[in-house]
Amino acid sequence: MARRQTSQTQRLLFIGFGGLLLLLAFSGLNALSVLRKIQTQNDTIRRDYFHRDHILEQLRTDIYLSGTHVRDLLLEQDPARADTHRKELDDTRARIESNVAAYEKILRPSEVTPFRQFTKELQAYFASLNPALQWNAAERKRFGYAFMKNSLLPRRMTIVHLADQIGQVNQKQMGAASRQVNVLFSNFRRALIALLILTLVCGGVLAGGSMYRIMRLDRLSAQRFEEVEQARGALRDLSARLIAVQESERRALSRELHDEVGQSLSALLLGLGNVAALLRDSNEDARAQLQDLRRLAERTVAVVRDMSLLLRPSMLDDLGLIPAVQWQAREVSRTKNLRVQVQAGSISEDLSDEQRTCVYRVVQEALHNITRHAKAKSVRIELQQEKDRLILTIEDDGQGFVPEREKGVGLLGMEERVTHLHGSFRVDSAPGKGTAIRVELPVSEKRHPVLV
Amino acid sequence: MSSIRILLADDHTILRHGLRLMLERQPDFTVVAEAENGREAVELTLRENPDVVILDIAMPLLNGIEAAKRITEEQPKSAVMILSMHSDEAYILKALRAGARGYLLKDSAEADLIHAIRAVSAGKAFFSPAVSKVLADDYLRQVQQQGADDPYELLTARERELLQLIVELKSTKDIAGLLNLSPHTVDTHRGNLMQKLNVHSIPELILYAMRKGIIR
Repeated sequence: MARRQTSQTQRLLFIGFGGLLLLLAFSGLNALSVLRKIQTQNDTIRRDYFHRDHILEQLRTDIYLSGTHVRDLLLEQDPARADTHRKELDDTRARIESNVAAYEKILRPSEVTPFRQFTKELQAYFASLNPALQWNAAERKRFGYAFMKNSLLPRRMTIVHLADQIGQVNQKQMGAASRQVNVLFSNFRRALIALLILTLVCGGVLAGGSMYRIMRLDRLSAQRFEEVEQARGALRDLSARLIAVQESERRALSRELHDEVGQSLSALLLGLGNVAALLRDSNEDARAQLQDLRRLAERTVAVVRDMSLLLRPSMLDDLGLIPAVQWQAREVSRTKNLRVQVQAGSISEDLSDEQRTCVYRVVQEALHNITRHAKAKSVRIELQQEKDRLILTIEDDGQGFVPEREKGVGLLGMEERVTHLHGSFRVDSAPGKGTAIRVELPVSEKRHPVLV
Repeated sequence: MSSIRILLADDHTILRHGLRLMLERQPDFTVVAEAENGREAVELTLRENPDVVILDIAMPLLNGIEAAKRITEEQPKSAVMILSMHSDEAYILKALRAGARGYLLKDSAEADLIHAIRAVSAGKAFFSPAVSKVLADDYLRQVQQQGADDPYELLTARERELLQLIVELKSTKDIAGLLNLSPHTVDTHRGNLMQKLNVHSIPELILYAMRKGIIR
């Protein structure tokens, strides 16, 4: 379930962010290419315009120049100089014709009509010049002025005017092309805005989606965490209840064994003694039988006493914590090859039953562990009170262990008991270094002196 | 020979009756009253003025230890003996502090019980041999384990003599008479003795004596 969710999220994020990045890259590249295209187009239009304008300008200049040359020729009396002017006119005419040819090549459809007219007028102009060019000096002097005034100047005017017309067309064309570029630009802007909106929308959807999903996962994990915490709490409560139930059962059983079974057996012993006394010298066999029964009852009393103490030592309830711990220490010293020392300071007088039991059971379990696993020679148990904390330390000189790795059920049980009473539990141990258990329990500050 | 007047206190009726039967076989023993709880035991003691009060520890209303305390305070002439199932020294010390002179286990032999009653009524101390043995064994093992010097070795011959008499519950005057000393000197010796043994009260001294096997 969790794995499927993870892979789903992964795919979603991959698609979402990947798509967004692709969109951004595409729109950026596209914008660059469109910009370059517009730039190129703009350049071409301008170059074209200036090229045409230049040719037209030259044509105008040359047409003027041709008129000037004709005028100079007509005013010239020296035949040699007249030849020079004629030569200049020919050069100019040649330039005009080459420029006309050049312009014809790049002629736009819209210029065809004015250009035709222009070339026709140009031809007529040059044709009209031909007779005048053949004139001698006298003729030139005679007809020159009238020719200039009536033919040359008006014709030249017309041609220049036509050239201007073509120039105007060119200008108009340039204006149209510029407008076209502007249109391209505004189209581009629109496309860019659309792309921007699209990107923002996609990004927004993606961000919203991921946020929703992340928040949902967050909520889910918080919910899980709470569930786990609750389960753990319930488990702790249950184990605390189990411990409490076990303890009260043990206490009841211990009391029952001690007070009822023990007392009855003691009464039985006394009764057997009394019966034996009644029999006196008479029945030897019966006396022997009674003696056997008595021994049996004595053994049973001892067994019952041991069982009762094992379940829960009566000192814990009758005399308090320290006598019970000291008894436990003596018992272990007596039965196992282990020296147990108890050092007890003055401790709080109103330890709760739970607290007394907790400390006692920790000591009992620790001693049990030490005799079973530690191979220790001696154990030191210290019970002190510092302000409102009861501090129990149990140190042995045994072989030690690694607490992180080998924490058995016993240690966990001790920890459980202590933490249930809001205390702290620590185990310090290392192979070859012995073991130290330290328990701190919050208690009330009232104390009473130790009595034993 | 005047008879020894006994009060029995135990909440277990059959046991009490068995005990009474047994005790009354002794011609000089008289059971003057039976109580089934601590409070009744105190009241009957004050009324009947017995020589020996035999108390169980675990009794309803008032336990044996508390009853012993009241009886020794209000009726010091009655000697208190605890008859219990507990064999641990913590109980014995508690009983001694409460003023009991004897401490017996319920599974003790008849002879021990009779002997104990005679001893406490004569002003002596008496403890179950089983208890004394356990204490003595513990003490011996402790001394061996710790390898420490036994403080008993530090005592002078006079102090050892004195220790014996103190734990037999003899009064300072009697001891002074027996040892031919002034009561003041006896007090001084007792102080030194307790300091050497690191004990702070007569009950602790008695416990020490039991561990050492001076009292059996």
